[in-house]
Amino acid sequence: MTGALRQMVTCHWTARRLQRYLDADPAAPLTPGEITRLEEHVATCERCSEVMRQHRLLHRALSLWSGRRPVDPASVDRMRTVLDDLIDGRQT
Amino acid sequence: MSEAITPDDAARRRAFAEVVEPEIEVMLRVARSITGSAADAEDLVQESLVRAFRAIDRFDGRHPRAWLLTIVRNTNSNMHRRRRPIAVDDWELIHASRPAFGSVESPAAEEVYVVQELDGALQAAVAGLDPKFRSALVLVDVHDLSYAEAAAVLDVPVGTVMSRLSRARERVRKALGPTFTTTRGEQS
Repeated sequence: MTGALRQMVTCHWTARRLQRYLDADPAAPLTPGEITRLEEHVATCERCSEVMRQHRLLHRALSLWSGRRPVDPASVDRMRTVLDDLIDGRQT
Repeated sequence: MSEAITPDDAARRRAFAEVVEPEIEVMLRVARSITGSAADAEDLVQESLVRAFRAIDRFDGRHPRAWLLTIVRNTNSNMHRRRRPIAVDDWELIHASRPAFGSVESPAAEEVYVVQELDGALQAAVAGLDPKFRSALVLVDVHDLSYAEAAAVLDVPVGTVMSRLSRARERVRKALGPTFTTTRGEQS
């Protein structure tokens, strides 16, 4: 019973940190101790491991959407020209 | 008659170009998300570049992308002469375009299969999100912005971006529940 309760608490603890672990964003880093605890839990918890797999897959599927509408290179070139004009003093 | 550019000024202008040039593409992507139009995005980025150039002395050199995206957001607000929450509305356009596989990178065939299996359900799940949650999801997961950069675009604290992103992802993940289950065996 105690073991099941501890497992449930750790699943909850993991769920609250999963986004920060997967994103590894510099604005919200986990401590090395948190990373170790999370990884050790996920390695042994089928439910949390599956949630992590789903989040990874979701992120991958969404990130592939960005390639569907790449920025027009001509647009980038026009903005580079604007930038050149600014630094050359032709536009202020 | 234009004023002569001093060596110090020339160095300052070169430094500005070095900071800004790598960010032009992401500025255009975000501007298109905000305006919903490629032509309006160019107008917005052009005006933002001018404003950034005038404000270069106030830039501390850190986080240039977040600084530039803040200028894009403020410029958009000023151009429309009203303040309203930024909505990122281009996800439908993104989704209506051609598949990305093969155009940007080459994911494994297995991954292509799994992601394509998810695609229709994912589109419906993202469509069903509240716009403020969808904006956070699109900026971070589709446009690959950091929390701080998304916060700059949305004019909200980083903690708010994290909270909205967490809710958005959890709702989409739960909406995709049955689809995830069917992809499990294919991926392993």
